[in-house]
Amino acid sequence: MEFWVHVLNFILLLSILGVSLNLLLGYAGLVSMAHGAFFGVGAYAAAIVSRDLGVPFPLTLVVAVAVTTAVAAAVTLPALRVYGEYLILLTLAFQMVIYGLMLSWTDLTAGRTGIAGIARPAVLGTPMTTPTQFLPLIAVLTAVAFAVAWRIGESPFGRVLKALRDDERATLAIGKSVLRYKVAVFAISGAFAGVAGGLFAHYQAFINPFSFTLDRSIFLVALVVLGGTANLLGTFVGAVLFVGLPEMLRFIQMRQDVVDAVRNVIFGGLLVLFMRFRPEGLVPEHSRLGRRRRPAPPPPDVSGAVVIARTARGDGATALVAQGLAKHFGGIRAAEDLSLTLPRGQVTALVGPNGAGKTTVFNLLTGFLPAETGTVTLEGRDVTRLAPWRAVRAGLARSFQDVRLFERMTVLDNVLVAIPDQPGERLGPLFFAPGRVARAERDNRERSLRYLAFVGLAQRASDVAGALSFGEQKLVALARLLATEADVLLLDEPASGVDPQWVARILGLIRQCAEAGRTVCLVEHNLEAVLAVADHAYFMEAGRIIAEGPPERLMADARLAEIYFGKGRR
Amino acid sequence: MNADLGLAAQLAANGLIAGSLYALLGVSWGLIFATTKIFHFAHALTLAVATYGAVLVVERAGLGLPLGFVAAAVVGCLFGLAIEVGVYRPLRRVNATQLNVFLASLGFLIAGESVLLILFGPEARALPGFAVEGIAVGPVAFTTIEALWIGASWALVLALMAWLRFTRWGRAIRAVASNPDLAQCVGVDRARVFVLVFAVGSTLAGIGGALIALRDTASPFMGVQPVLAAFIAVFLGGIGSIPGAIAGGLVLGLAENMGGLFLPGHWQGVIAFVVLFVVLVVRPSGLFGAR
Repeated sequence: MEFWVHVLNFILLLSILGVSLNLLLGYAGLVSMAHGAFFGVGAYAAAIVSRDLGVPFPLTLVVAVAVTTAVAAAVTLPALRVYGEYLILLTLAFQMVIYGLMLSWTDLTAGRTGIAGIARPAVLGTPMTTPTQFLPLIAVLTAVAFAVAWRIGESPFGRVLKALRDDERATLAIGKSVLRYKVAVFAISGAFAGVAGGLFAHYQAFINPFSFTLDRSIFLVALVVLGGTANLLGTFVGAVLFVGLPEMLRFIQMRQDVVDAVRNVIFGGLLVLFMRFRPEGLVPEHSRLGRRRRPAPPPPDVSGAVVIARTARGDGATALVAQGLAKHFGGIRAAEDLSLTLPRGQVTALVGPNGAGKTTVFNLLTGFLPAETGTVTLEGRDVTRLAPWRAVRAGLARSFQDVRLFERMTVLDNVLVAIPDQPGERLGPLFFAPGRVARAERDNRERSLRYLAFVGLAQRASDVAGALSFGEQKLVALARLLATEADVLLLDEPASGVDPQWVARILGLIRQCAEAGRTVCLVEHNLEAVLAVADHAYFMEAGRIIAEGPPERLMADARLAEIYFGKGRR
Repeated sequence: MNADLGLAAQLAANGLIAGSLYALLGVSWGLIFATTKIFHFAHALTLAVATYGAVLVVERAGLGLPLGFVAAAVVGCLFGLAIEVGVYRPLRRVNATQLNVFLASLGFLIAGESVLLILFGPEARALPGFAVEGIAVGPVAFTTIEALWIGASWALVLALMAWLRFTRWGRAIRAVASNPDLAQCVGVDRARVFVLVFAVGSTLAGIGGALIALRDTASPFMGVQPVLAAFIAVFLGGIGSIPGAIAGGLVLGLAENMGGLFLPGHWQGVIAFVVLFVVLVVRPSGLFGAR
């Protein structure tokens, strides 16, 4: 009996650790190959303050959490500038450093001997020694960990994490500070690992470095991925399998080392097969299991037109002025002495042959590329040096030629995530002002549905965005852009690559935005579309603006036509 | 003072010995990574499997050590190819993300290591057949095995550089590495280039594994530490640069060993990762990277 309780305790401890990793890997899409090390930092922190300073139990856990949180946040310092494979390598390196320190910093960690005799927690004077006595404590803390992680994962904060996972550039482009979210999620993940580590130290009463190896980190990744990323129930399932499987194997009288090897073969093999046939894991993200399924509210019967009215930040005749922007890539001139003005409430088009630098202009205006010279002034405010997400908050937002929706999120969430200043994006209100968060969420959902109603896609609100047609995705991207509440909208090829009837619809919506007072600038190859929608046009060639005027006049110019279509045409 | 200089010379020599092997492994992994963008963690398994191939040929079959090296090269090559064709290619077909490909690689590694353990047992095995002798040059002492490490590593690395530079297939690889879409447009068959880099990189890893087993031993989990060193060499030098990976390997080997001048020996394992950490923070594009 005690043995099975011990197995259960172990499953619970491992699922706390799994939840910690799932927040990073499943929600934010950030790999950590160092969770074994984070776990170990928590365990050693608790053990050492207990041994050397005589700190009693619940406090040791607080220390463990504080230390792992700080350490995990420190790891993100370089990780903020690097991502993808760099993050894999960096966390691998961190895992090895910590493991090495546990082995070799003998004054502190006692090396491979480990730390024995860690004080057992006492409740009402009786120390907990047996697994059964420990079970209530571990079960309660596991429940708390799941509740907190669930609250975070399903909140506006968690929504931004998922956006970050699906597309980092697009997350910047809806005005979210990617940096802040990365540091925060690493710190939170570290805190959870600290809880698991501290508990583990007290539960075992003995720790040595061999519980915190690279293998531990690797198997945690396997457990979370197999269970199902971005679904906490999946992580629990993964932990049950990971601990339970060897116990089942032991039933058929296998030797311990063979049991472990067979378990590894099964887990490793499953990981390969799952990546090929079921990358979403056993319990997928959008599964009804382990998740309250909100029914999509019916589309509001109000027209979307109200919602697109501009939010009035300035009132001059011009919304944006760019002067003398320049950018070179090596010897290539991408932009040179570029100046343009966007009149308020009008549609301005940038046209020109392929490679003229039109998209580069958008990148320069919004801060995705730093300009070498020149200034960008938005509503009288200098926004030249602002980070992309700050530019959005100042009222200047852009879309992407390749759409860049958050493909694994629902259509509604794609729009909802872009709404600025949601109280649930901050952890304080999330946990201490739940009423305010819930009210804001209700309002924002309704608002998002209106944006979707405006583009005509309210009935698709609960579909996963990646499943939509290209034309529908462009419309969702437009709704998402509007939801940022930016007054100046830069649209990169809003009508290219879609069927003609979609083009007409998209152009109609753009006109409506302008009429509602928003300022629009678009890059477009479809000249008929430009003629239909634009009030004014700039013609670019080789990084320079060489002509401007009403679109119909530019298109009647034989010289420009020759540049655009090449010699010998027309 | 003289004793210190002698120690420094010895540590530098040790660094050069380890660094040469890291350079070889770094190049073998870096070639695959730069071309395919796959974070091929299972390279560690290729190295171990190939080494077991050599051990079986030499120890069980009683064939000579040269044939053992041939076996390591052939087994490594075939095993690497099998991973590319059997694991990575099907994943590409379903447009798996880079993260998912990495996870599959990780799964393949942990499963494969345990298969080796079940088949051959956990104990370390020697690769016999090399008459070891000590060599002393002034204050520096090393063995003939270590001389072979340096000689073989540099011969292979230089041969690879020449091959990449002067042959048609070498140019095709560099084309795919620098711009896969453009390479495809001018008629370079991407799938064949991938197969080729896996074959070449895995062959080198196999030989590297046999070299390691010659001085140390072979075991199911032998591949991870050397391949971690290879990762670090590649990122230190800057991704995509073969000379960078070589320099990265040397820097790593020297840093690990020269660290012994200032730190007790058991800190050696930490140094490599601290160096990497600092480089990633200060200069993420690598010491010799262009970007």
